[in-house]
Amino acid sequence: MEFLTVSLLNGVIYGLLLFMVSAGLTLIFGMMGVLNFAHASFYMVGAYLAYTLQKFVGFTTAVLLSTVLVGLLGVIVERFFLRRVHKHGHAHELLLTFGLTFIIAELIKLFYGNFSVEYRVPEFLNFAAFQVFSTDYPFYRLLMGGVSLLVFGLIYLLLTRTRVGIVVRAAIHRPQMAEALGHNVPLVFMAVFGIGAALAGLAGALAGAFYTTNPNMALELGVIVFVVVVVGGLGSMAGAMIASLLIGLISSFAVGVDLSLASLLGLVGAGDWAQQMGGLMTLKVSSVAATIPFALMLLILLIRPSGLMGEKG
Amino acid sequence: MKLTKILLAMLLLALLVLPAILPPAMVNAAIQMLIAALFACAFNLLCGQGGMLSFGHAAYFGVGSFATLHAMSALNGQGLLPTPLLPLIGAMGGFICGLCAGWFATKRAGVYFSMITLALAELLHSLAPHLNTLFGGEAGISSMRAPAWGLDFGDATQVYYLTLGWVVLSIALLYAFTLTPMGRLTFALRENGHRLQFLGYNVHRLRVLVFALSAMFAGIAGGLQALNLESANYVLFDMRFSAEVVLNTYIGGVNVFLGPVLGAALMTFFGNAASDLTQSWLLYQGLLFVLVMMFMPSGLAGLVLCWSAQIRRRGWLAMVPAAFSALLSAGLLSLAVVFLIETLQRVFSQDYQALLMADQAWPAISLFGREWLPGALLTWATPLLLGVAGLLVLKLARRQWLRLLDDEPQVSAAALRPRLEGEQP
Repeated sequence: MEFLTVSLLNGVIYGLLLFMVSAGLTLIFGMMGVLNFAHASFYMVGAYLAYTLQKFVGFTTAVLLSTVLVGLLGVIVERFFLRRVHKHGHAHELLLTFGLTFIIAELIKLFYGNFSVEYRVPEFLNFAAFQVFSTDYPFYRLLMGGVSLLVFGLIYLLLTRTRVGIVVRAAIHRPQMAEALGHNVPLVFMAVFGIGAALAGLAGALAGAFYTTNPNMALELGVIVFVVVVVGGLGSMAGAMIASLLIGLISSFAVGVDLSLASLLGLVGAGDWAQQMGGLMTLKVSSVAATIPFALMLLILLIRPSGLMGEKG
Repeated sequence: MKLTKILLAMLLLALLVLPAILPPAMVNAAIQMLIAALFACAFNLLCGQGGMLSFGHAAYFGVGSFATLHAMSALNGQGLLPTPLLPLIGAMGGFICGLCAGWFATKRAGVYFSMITLALAELLHSLAPHLNTLFGGEAGISSMRAPAWGLDFGDATQVYYLTLGWVVLSIALLYAFTLTPMGRLTFALRENGHRLQFLGYNVHRLRVLVFALSAMFAGIAGGLQALNLESANYVLFDMRFSAEVVLNTYIGGVNVFLGPVLGAALMTFFGNAASDLTQSWLLYQGLLFVLVMMFMPSGLAGLVLCWSAQIRRRGWLAMVPAAFSALLSAGLLSLAVVFLIETLQRVFSQDYQALLMADQAWPAISLFGREWLPGALLTWATPLLLGVAGLLVLKLARRQWLRLLDDEPQVSAAALRPRLEGEQP
């Protein structure tokens, strides 16, 4: 029971965190058709910037400041890199962002070294929120979850209840038509790219303190975020939310499950045979937890290629 | 055409006499260059010719490597086949895996295809360390080259010739493939898959076959790597290697058959040479890739072709000023960037930061055989001046180039860009 509750909580909060990163990615894809490989790099830059700034201005200001700075970085990437190669097509844009991830990761290594940095949760936030079966549950996790829920709410309201949101949705749906009606679509693209990057930066600044901050964090999270947006349906916000929670829960439950294919076969009396087979049969779910999201993604792509909530095939 | 043939013959001759003139340590680097060249060429069959951008091609390279190693140590170390034929096993491994993975991946096109290949490779990467019998866990597996056909394959030179033979044969086969009807269909696949379908071709089967063939040649490259290193572990499946082949191929240029070969050979060569000199090689590689993507969509090979066409049309002499200023600006700009990056790298390195003491000036760093003080103006003014000078010369080069082209229509960059299948030109 304790395992169930804690895994559920952790999974939901990890999922919410994933949502903060994948929201921007899926918005950008839905609008510009660009799968931004560098998106997880923005997450990493956010973590490192907050780590550097918090020494000078304190944690809260550092997190806010790095969010803004990463947003600006996103604007620069869109304005001066992506827009230049837009005429060459989507493959080209994908490859360009792919190259940018390399540059960002290497620059981080250059400035901070190829190891994780001492970015910790600050003292004033490092306390137990409540007790779950006599174990303390950190407040900081709740904070991360709360912030991403807040972000989800804000984006939702912005997109559905404001004039700006209508223009953005129009630009996503029919960019040429929106432009013909006199809206500055390139500006909308740039703003959405910036906001998406800022969200990733905010997630990085918050999560970097709780998890580890190292030069590989972009790649590790990057592939998971791709899985999230593909499973949720590229371009769908609600899909990203559902898929984030799904992946978060799966990863958090999988690490604690000690079963294998052999024990499943044991139920039908073939357990001994499976044990002898070894290999895939005796692999514990917990040790292959990292592979489950990819398997899920393959399954989704084959069964429902447009993703759980995607509309375009 | 004649010139190309002469150049290729000269290149082959040079490759044949190479081990005689190179020191033994460099022979190993040459082997790696050859393997990288074949890998990039195999990758380009899929991405440049077939228009299917894969982000997980290291998987098939790795499978080829492991298959070859298993064959090498089969029958108590005798080997399943004589040592020179072992890459065939790698080819088989790559082909079979390519068929399976390709069947899934090619169900979708465009970005989705890239994502599936990425997921498949990551799946393998995270499963491999847990499968002890197949991939030897985290430690990997190793074997020994058995003597065969009167050769003992004990030194690097023999391995070099074996690798050279396989690489030349494979690249020749890959080229021959582009001339076959199926090779032409592969191009058609990139240009317009829908139209191909209307013409009555089974597009999915064609895609799977192209994927499997590309994986097969990647498997040969992996097999050669296994023969060279006599060991392999699951790190082969790392995203890094898949990324490397993408970078190499596009830096070389995907629209020219030998472009990826050029890119991979150059990048591996500089990577080897630079690994002793700098810790930031990957950064330079990334910068070069982004520059190529932004300003020369057709890659280095496209640049070479463009210049040689101009030279043929106007003669050497007319081209000299533009070529000279272009080279000068490239030199100045790269010097500025290298200077800046290396200075920053040294200043921010852990060793240097440990030397710092409070209230004291930062000690000097050595770079290009000179001592530079991080606090001194000169240290930062040098790259700045170099960069500004480089940009000015670049502007001049651009003007000269445009004046050359003034009297005729320009080749549009859009015709040369890499495309995903199904995308309209």
